[in-house]
Amino acid sequence: MPSVWIDYDRCDGCGLCAKKCPYDAVEMRDGIPHILEQCTCCALCLEACKRGALQTDLTARTVPDFSAWKGVWVFAEHQQNALQAISLELLGKARELAEQRSETVSALLLGDQGDPLVQPLFTAGAHRVYQVQDPRLRHYTTDAYTKSLARLVEKYKPEILLIGATDIGRDLAPRLARRVGAGLTADCTELSIDPEEGILLQTRPAFGGNVMATIVNRFSRPQMATVRPGVMEKRAPEPLQGELVAEQLEGGDQDSRVEILESWTEEGERIDLSKARVIVAAGRGAASSEGLELLEQLARSLGGELAGTRAMIEEQWLPDDRQIGQTGQTVRPELYIGCGVSGAVQHRAGMAASRYIIAVNKDPRAPLLSVADWSIVGDLFQVVPELISILSRRI
Amino acid sequence: MKIIVLIKQVPDTTEIKLDPKTGNLLREGVPSIINPDDRHALEAALRLKEAHGGRVAVLSMGPQQAIDAVSEALGMGADEGVLLSDSAFAGSDTWATSFTLSRAIRKMDGFDLILCGRQAIDGDTAQVGPQLAEILDLPQVTAVCGISSFEPGASGRSQVLRRVRGGYQRLNCTLPALFTVVSEINTPRCPHMERLLRACKTKTAIKHWNCADLGLKTQEVGLAESLTQVITTFPPKTRRKSEILEGDPRSVAGQLVDRLQDNKLI
Amino acid sequence: MLRSNSEDLIRKVIARFVDQEVIPVAEEHDRKGEFPVELFQKLGSMGVFGIRYPKSIGGSGGNTTLYCIIAEELARGLLSLAGTTAMQCLMGTDGLYRFGTKDMHETFLKPALRGKKIGAFQLTEPEAGSDLGNVRTTAVQDGDSFVINGMKTWSTSGPIADFHTVLCQTNPDKGLKGLMFFFVPSDIPGFSHSKRFETLGTRTTLLSEIYFNNCRVPSEYRLGQEGKGLKVLLSILAEIRAMTGALALGLLRAAMDASLRYAKERIQFGKPIGKNQLVQSKIAKMAVDLEASRLMVYNTARMIDSNESCLHQATMTKYFATEAACRATDEATRIFGGYGYSMEYPVQRYYRDSRFLLYGGGVHEVLQTNIAKHYGL
Repeated sequence: MPSVWIDYDRCDGCGLCAKKCPYDAVEMRDGIPHILEQCTCCALCLEACKRGALQTDLTARTVPDFSAWKGVWVFAEHQQNALQAISLELLGKARELAEQRSETVSALLLGDQGDPLVQPLFTAGAHRVYQVQDPRLRHYTTDAYTKSLARLVEKYKPEILLIGATDIGRDLAPRLARRVGAGLTADCTELSIDPEEGILLQTRPAFGGNVMATIVNRFSRPQMATVRPGVMEKRAPEPLQGELVAEQLEGGDQDSRVEILESWTEEGERIDLSKARVIVAAGRGAASSEGLELLEQLARSLGGELAGTRAMIEEQWLPDDRQIGQTGQTVRPELYIGCGVSGAVQHRAGMAASRYIIAVNKDPRAPLLSVADWSIVGDLFQVVPELISILSRRI
Repeated sequence: MKIIVLIKQVPDTTEIKLDPKTGNLLREGVPSIINPDDRHALEAALRLKEAHGGRVAVLSMGPQQAIDAVSEALGMGADEGVLLSDSAFAGSDTWATSFTLSRAIRKMDGFDLILCGRQAIDGDTAQVGPQLAEILDLPQVTAVCGISSFEPGASGRSQVLRRVRGGYQRLNCTLPALFTVVSEINTPRCPHMERLLRACKTKTAIKHWNCADLGLKTQEVGLAESLTQVITTFPPKTRRKSEILEGDPRSVAGQLVDRLQDNKLI
Repeated sequence: MLRSNSEDLIRKVIARFVDQEVIPVAEEHDRKGEFPVELFQKLGSMGVFGIRYPKSIGGSGGNTTLYCIIAEELARGLLSLAGTTAMQCLMGTDGLYRFGTKDMHETFLKPALRGKKIGAFQLTEPEAGSDLGNVRTTAVQDGDSFVINGMKTWSTSGPIADFHTVLCQTNPDKGLKGLMFFFVPSDIPGFSHSKRFETLGTRTTLLSEIYFNNCRVPSEYRLGQEGKGLKVLLSILAEIRAMTGALALGLLRAAMDASLRYAKERIQFGKPIGKNQLVQSKIAKMAVDLEASRLMVYNTARMIDSNESCLHQATMTKYFATEAACRATDEATRIFGGYGYSMEYPVQRYYRDSRFLLYGGGVHEVLQTNIAKHYGL
């Protein structure tokens, strides 16, 4: 196994290597760095060290020639003859990335819905639409969609492929990535092109909790990433025209290993938190019927919606359409008030883009406080009733 | 009938605290747990075993301390466990992880079903399940919230309920297959003391395989085999005011409403 | 070879159970004063009650150390649940385990270890607390059976137990040497109990008086030999005291954790109150008490597991850990200031519950005398 070690004669104890290490594998003890066993030999510390004190016997991996791979692709997801918002959001981002690479944007449209969705894709930023029309693609199935998309990827060799992190996207993207031999980064919150290397920089919240990680995909193409709905912004629509390329679903009848017997939507109106101007979020600290009643009242007095963390949904205090976070919805309201919400990174990933953030928590170490505009360190059962009474007098 | 359940030991991210001054993560005292979704996967497997007989094996990949996750799974009722642990596995992305797991599964002589949690609370990628299904050429169903019928065997089938945004799907799937499950599927049982103690004492209950045991070279696993690399990590931008309001409940509530009014939020 | 450490693993599993399932409902159970049936049954399904019994009779094959770990962790969440559990693991079932017939094991012990039946231990009488020579519940042989008459008090789980291990006098002239334990199922004629007592703390534990009015039991319900009742009690006394020490240890941890958290969170005069030296002094004393109690509890448990005689160590452990828990719960209410007096915070419960430990497993005034006796006084 290769390893990384430190030439202590050159080391000046500046600690940059420890700061740079994404695996917490460099520890500073008495001003001297030590490499711990969790080192993965990623060699990032070598780049960080200004004095060349970090050494390795690792041989650099050669990057294959990917010059044949061109253009930015977006998987266009649709439901009941309407494009999903995520597809338009991704096209906006794809356009920006393609411009930096002096390339074009293509959308992938699978299904049997005919042409009505093609023009909206052009309008949203696609230069080209690859369309595969087949009754067998009417409903999403893992096997048929993976097969169809893998063939397109292999035929046209895109440089970048973006997919929405929806139920379908999360089922499809990893399977497709594995089939075409591409690396995949899930749930990116930022995408940009590295100005020097020209590769896609994929940024996502990572464990390590409070950290964002920028991930690259140097050794395979396409560079694949998924993005959650609501994270990117749509472009203003333009009356553009583009090229339509019709493709066939090859092969005989798909031997369908998975068959959809029926689909149904849940009774009752599901709430769309992404449209709420004000959101009051409940965390474990509010896990009681009294707590939720208070927060509901607060939400009402501000004309907002009540939402919750993953724990609140798992413990069935709130229905699952009110979950904010990495496994729930991503929201960007004008005002977010987290009450008894500790603010785990998964939750913050779903609300960090809110315009104003307020945290009410007993614990001054709760991570939500670090991203809040205003924080109240105190008991929500005492603070919220005061808030409600003051609001009732002032509004 | 045999079911393989994939489990991951993760830090309990709900217990993570930040240093109020530096904003750094306070790692100390954060317990390691079986990833919550994986616990539901194991429970689903145990219920199928109770209904149809057979065996449940758990497979995990992680540092040596992850042995506790495997032992606990045995405590819940799994019959055998395998821990893949080797320093060469460090830094694996989902590409490398799914490959390494697939090699272990090929070594584990046969199965009717692979169950795993939809996603892990530390990485939250939800990728390893589908990627593993692809390598093993299995049909997959993600986000399963119910298994209504299960008929293992030569032309085995299973009917499952899948959670999709706004509703459900009922699907028929051939076996062997890979399902990823969500927490809605069941309430996991607690481990049994006698089984836990047996997992700690019995020599044969848990196998520990390293890179060589899987017939792999170190350059075929871990970071060396990964297609994606983390190139930098940084704290999220906070360009926030980060003002802490002080005083008794009435006073802080008043200060807050003042600020809402100043910023035309109400 | 890679294996989990059984003590760490069991502590981890029980700690998680306490954090997820006990602590969220502890206040509510305490307020209502109800026996937490669901939690009790869950502990049964986890094999907790069989922790110190061998697998052959449905136990989990553990030992006293593991038993103490479980008692400690549960006490951190809800002392009364921990106390009832400890009773079910040891005093409520041990006589039945050691002296019961195969039939009795099948009908009573195995279900009890699964949480399906509850066992109670009947020692104390109005006139016989520490002075067991004065036990007045009598068992008189009548042909092939014994007839039991008398009453017991301060009986943990008394009103809800399915069976009882009862200390009786078979020969009043012999005093301590006439004592003997009997097994008494609750459904036999002549058995009854009072309504539950109102108590200051451990309010989910149901305590009552128990009455025996010509209760006739077969002679195989004798637990141990005639006149050996005291010996039977002494054989588990060290374990009872080590376990009580473990309960105190868990309660002490709960009080210290709450105090520490509050000392960091509560801001007065612009700084956390934990920055004040007087608060630091209280926390420091708790920390030292905690460490000392922990060492004593697990040293005693280890001695019991290796069959060393250790009643003296166990007595000191129970005495010290309990006093330490009482000090810590008292100080915790002070660190919390007015909120320590409020029913909204759990520290008041820790304070109330701590008093239970002073009596269970031997009153401290007698324990101190026992300790002194060890040194020839």
